[in-house]
Amino acid sequence: MFVDFFYLLRRVGIPVTPTSFLTLQKALGTGLVNSLDDLYTAARAILVKSEKYFDLYDQAFAHHFQGAALKDPQEEDFAEIAHAMLEEWLKDPGGLAKMLGIDEKELSRLSPEDLINYFLERLKDQTEEHHGGSKWIGTRGFSPVGHSGYHPGGMRVGGVSRNKSALKTAMERRYRDYSQEGPMTASQIGEALKRLRNMVPVGPKNNINVEKSIYETVRNAGEIEIVFDRSFMDRLKVILVIDNGGWSMDPYIELVHTIFNYARAQFKDLKIFFFHNTIYSKVWEDPQRRTRPHQIDDFIRLDPETRFIVVGDASMAPYELLGVNGSIHYEERSGKPSIERLRFMSKTFPHCVWLNPVLKNEWRYTDTIRMIGEIIPMFELTLEGLEKAVTSIMQKN
Amino acid sequence: MSKKAEKDFTGASKYVLDAELAEIVNISMALEMPLLLKGEPGTGKTMLAHAIAEATGMKLIILNVKSSMKLIEALYQYDTLTRLNDSRFGDSKRDVSNIEEYIKMGKIGQSFVADEKVVLLIDEIDKADTDFQDDMLDVLDQMQFDIIEIDKTVKAKNRPVIIITSNAKKDLSDPFLGRCNFHHIAFPEPEMMRDIIKVHFENIDKELLESAIRTFYKFRDIYGIEKKPATRELINWIRALKADPDFRAKDLLKGNIPFLGILFKKSHDYRTAQAAVNKIKE
Repeated sequence: MFVDFFYLLRRVGIPVTPTSFLTLQKALGTGLVNSLDDLYTAARAILVKSEKYFDLYDQAFAHHFQGAALKDPQEEDFAEIAHAMLEEWLKDPGGLAKMLGIDEKELSRLSPEDLINYFLERLKDQTEEHHGGSKWIGTRGFSPVGHSGYHPGGMRVGGVSRNKSALKTAMERRYRDYSQEGPMTASQIGEALKRLRNMVPVGPKNNINVEKSIYETVRNAGEIEIVFDRSFMDRLKVILVIDNGGWSMDPYIELVHTIFNYARAQFKDLKIFFFHNTIYSKVWEDPQRRTRPHQIDDFIRLDPETRFIVVGDASMAPYELLGVNGSIHYEERSGKPSIERLRFMSKTFPHCVWLNPVLKNEWRYTDTIRMIGEIIPMFELTLEGLEKAVTSIMQKN
Repeated sequence: MSKKAEKDFTGASKYVLDAELAEIVNISMALEMPLLLKGEPGTGKTMLAHAIAEATGMKLIILNVKSSMKLIEALYQYDTLTRLNDSRFGDSKRDVSNIEEYIKMGKIGQSFVADEKVVLLIDEIDKADTDFQDDMLDVLDQMQFDIIEIDKTVKAKNRPVIIITSNAKKDLSDPFLGRCNFHHIAFPEPEMMRDIIKVHFENIDKELLESAIRTFYKFRDIYGIEKKPATRELINWIRALKADPDFRAKDLLKGNIPFLGILFKKSHDYRTAQAAVNKIKE
């Protein structure tokens, strides 16, 4: 029964498994499902395994059983949907539109706020895919919004960022939840991460060394002698701050994944925060960087012995690092340039390093890498770099 | 199902149940599948298991998951220390050569060997690592596990009713989700909240109830609050308001709001809320 419904759910993007569908059939056989309302509840509990999909499920259900039209995106859903929508458009860039410079001067005078408003207006107007031209959002146009365009201060709207310095990012809510299991990475990386173990030979002697205990006991003619060893991974407080936003970190996601999973398994007292590009007044506990902000100023209360590790490409427009209101997220304007915040962090936690997935020989092409590197010791995220970083962070000074 | 009808779940004395959740619980019980509950803290995930146990008259066994927990601890423990002690001093009645006497059941183990059907609450599963979750799956799927030390298989006498809660810190693995039914408890609407409060405070003054609930939902809407006050906070807050002899229900609407600290437990939130209150006053 309801096979069509099953396929509809799959089509709208809810990961429904055949097994759970069979379970639903079983549920129908119990006699507990006697009305459409019952079916709605039962099918949702059995088929849909995350509240993320509840909304989609509602729409699909209404569509299938009550003939409701699949809803058009409402304005509130806008942020979520906009990204997916844009991605679809931008995937297909069409022919090469030639760069045209006519509007450049005029448009570059728009303030960031104006730009965002303009972007939102255009996005609402837009009803079809569009490439090139001067008003709509598409790819390779010269309108100030859109991607791969050539507007001097334009916002980026999806697409791989080219020179890593778009000033304003609007609909780029493409956050990756690093806590999910990712694909396995090269053994070389795993090997590199093992070196983080060097960090933690501290703590009280509270582990029983069984082999030695037996040996000593036998030596003692059966009188029990228990030998304790130091435990290996306790007592070290680690704060891991990860850059998880934006296109510029895209190529390194797998790498960061590994770090994340490894750190979680390895350190008992581990705090993980997220940021985009660089650190302003707050970092976030949730990877989506929306609901659980953590004030940077509060870090001063933490143990200064905490090891502070930043993972990020440190690549951005100089303005974002040095400007007083440099954040590309305009709700995040804090009145202090990010570079001040970074100085504050390095003072608060003398044991800090910045791990950069960008290889060292490319650093000189990006000014912000150099500037941040002067504040926080920077190492490349490789076997060698990691080892150096660990040595640096474990130094007593 | 009519035979089982008297065992169906309709709510308990201190738990206000919405019809939807009741149905999900009943279906999960009928299908004998674990029910996974997600939702923000204070929506009564844990309370549900208590309520089911109370309503159906089954015993409740709670497994509080801890981050360092290994599955084996939840199944059984081989008490080597006692055995060692017995073998050295020999002053107990246990037979040292019989290892079985030193096997103690963990919470999952207890729920398997219980003579009657029980409710097994696995609380905050997301705290444990994924290995724990995956290993547990097999056990719950097969409804049996092996005790390696004595080469014995423990089978569940009765399939327990399994309730699993998660605070949604991280997503659970797909195979895990595949074997559970799922429900997300949304934060109760004001209507529902009124009922919940009435269950906890009989004869509550109507004016107090209304103004407290209205203030409470206003507070939840303040922008930038990190830890929103939940049902638990509201109940404690009302308790405090009732205990204060100087308090008048009208004060709340005027913006005189005492005991903010009960609702907001983070200093940043407290300041934000205080600022919002001051705005109302002006």
